[in-house]
Amino acid sequence: MSARKQGDGQPEDGGATAGKRLKIAKFSEDPEKKGLSRRLKDAEISLPIVYGTIAFYLGRKASESQSHKWTVYVRGATNEDLSAVIKRVVFQLHPSFNNPTRVMEAPPFELSECGWGEFEIAISLFFHPDVCDKQLDLYHHLKLYPEDESGPQSTKKPVVVESYDEIVFPDPSEAFYARVQNNPAVIVPRMPAGFNISAPAPENTSERERGDTKDHPLSQWFMNFSEADELLKLAAARQQPFMEMIYEN
Amino acid sequence: MDAKDILGLPKNQLPIPQEKKSRPPKEPQRKPDGISREVYALTGGLAPLMPSVDVSQLKRRPPSDEKVTWQWLPFTNSARKDDLQLFHWVRVVNGVPPTGDYAFAKYNKAWTKEETDQLFDLCERFDLRFIVIADRFPSSRTVEELKDRYYSVSRALLSARAPPADITGHPLVKEPYNISQEVERKRALSMVLSQTKQQERKDTEVLAEAKRITESRMAAKGPEESELPAVANIGPDNSQRAITGDAVTPSTAMPSSAIAASSTLMADNASTLASLRMLRVYLRTYALDQMVQAASASAGLRTIKRVEQTLQELGVNLKPKVPTKAVCAEHLELRKEILTLLNLQKQLQYKEAEGTSFQDSPYSETPGTPKRAPRGDQDRPFMPDPLGFGGDRFGKRDQKRKAPGRTSEAAQSPSQSKRPRKMKASDI
Repeated sequence: MSARKQGDGQPEDGGATAGKRLKIAKFSEDPEKKGLSRRLKDAEISLPIVYGTIAFYLGRKASESQSHKWTVYVRGATNEDLSAVIKRVVFQLHPSFNNPTRVMEAPPFELSECGWGEFEIAISLFFHPDVCDKQLDLYHHLKLYPEDESGPQSTKKPVVVESYDEIVFPDPSEAFYARVQNNPAVIVPRMPAGFNISAPAPENTSERERGDTKDHPLSQWFMNFSEADELLKLAAARQQPFMEMIYEN
Repeated sequence: MDAKDILGLPKNQLPIPQEKKSRPPKEPQRKPDGISREVYALTGGLAPLMPSVDVSQLKRRPPSDEKVTWQWLPFTNSARKDDLQLFHWVRVVNGVPPTGDYAFAKYNKAWTKEETDQLFDLCERFDLRFIVIADRFPSSRTVEELKDRYYSVSRALLSARAPPADITGHPLVKEPYNISQEVERKRALSMVLSQTKQQERKDTEVLAEAKRITESRMAAKGPEESELPAVANIGPDNSQRAITGDAVTPSTAMPSSAIAASSTLMADNASTLASLRMLRVYLRTYALDQMVQAASASAGLRTIKRVEQTLQELGVNLKPKVPTKAVCAEHLELRKEILTLLNLQKQLQYKEAEGTSFQDSPYSETPGTPKRAPRGDQDRPFMPDPLGFGGDRFGKRDQKRKAPGRTSEAAQSPSQSKRPRKMKASDI
């Protein structure tokens, strides 16, 4: 039976070279399942994200229980749409909030609220089935009050705290790779020549535009994360004269 | 007294003057018996409003109609097999010593013939189903006790009836029932059974961690052994201490130190990567953190602090602000390099402190390392080498460009390492 033979030409457009690169974890008749079971060994797909909070002092409109308006969010590091990877984000707020478990099923993954207190927000990321069946939890401390306590709070300048991180998916499934290989939000590995998986039909552009945060109302406050800066500092440190001593044996 | 003040009640003297006329003047002076004066004063110098303990009861003597003496008398213990007679103090009431067996004899779990017969009868009836037998057994005995008794009696019978040579293969003799081991085993099993999911997860985490550590130790031992046999015996010590969480600097042997360190780190990396791959999804910062921990596993807390201090002085964030793959890799490498540096410096210190002449070993020195001393080191005036070390040291310094410039006497800073060259030129 042809199903028994492995690496002998695949039902998809893959081509014989793909068989060498991929380790077949589970054998299944269903082509969809095959995409899930075949994984790219020794490769990783990563998703750079930025998550954090922006808080505005309400000034005149402030009441004792609601002195600030804040937004907590997860966005792509380059403000691209994350929904190809992230299916759902759950924000867990302080129990004093009504329905403290807030579920966001669509991008942009954010939530705005009014309050007076600072607390830790738990952000749980849920991924599409072909990406990962495990959730990933992030934690962020909501900061309302600026470091500089001098003078009254400005209603114009918010308190912004953002964290950059990258979500790493080791040994991603073939289906996942196929789906996101051309996605601007995702960093995919370079595959050897001849490795070819057909990407699914591109999504509706108007839908995608809604999901990214490039024109987000708060985008002016987004922090800049420059990899170059940090790399430069690190390289400079490693090149310090005394560091060279270790290699002089 | 204070309580009465608070309540606004009049003092004791006023309310019942008739009855207590003779008492009040005496109260403050007279010391109440039963409890000491100070204790009484704690309650306010007066009896509490509602005395919970009858003061006269506090030092009550035993009923005086009994005559109690203490006598030094002999006794025997029914739990003993011999007839040992010991002496002890016995409380004798009205000339009658206490009866009954020695009080602690009941704690000896002895098997009477009757009990043993009952056991064997039940064993036959219930086909050696010890759980049922334990239920039916008249006196309370655990399953393990019953089993132990049964098997030991059977073994005794067997060895009595058959010649010793024939029975050595018999399971009763070859693998005797070990009661303490059984009890322990069952206890452990029940613990595992009653583990909650969280404990299970914690256990697997700890086991994975331990496996990672042992793997890295094994990997480190491999290349180390090929380099220097002496180093190998430090290896097992290290793994032992690593598992118990202590901090140990890898090896103190100079030549292989750098190589050993790097191979240990590589092994650590490999196993950390493996455990990360198991996660299916993780954050880059978490991965970096794990790698940093793995790399610093062999370092003590103080060393780690020094690494962090060095990073800060170099203007590098302890946790990268932009943790991309490249940044994390660079950061990790930097940390490892600093660690190697510090280790080498430490070893240098040790060797110099020992006063051994490890002159020709290729270890390096660092001028003006930030953490050592203020940068003013390099501005220190040139100090001539004491004459006592002149010949040999000079000669050896010729060979290596960056040999240590310090002597154990002068305790010069490492910044002097560049000076020897000048010294060689001027002095020779």
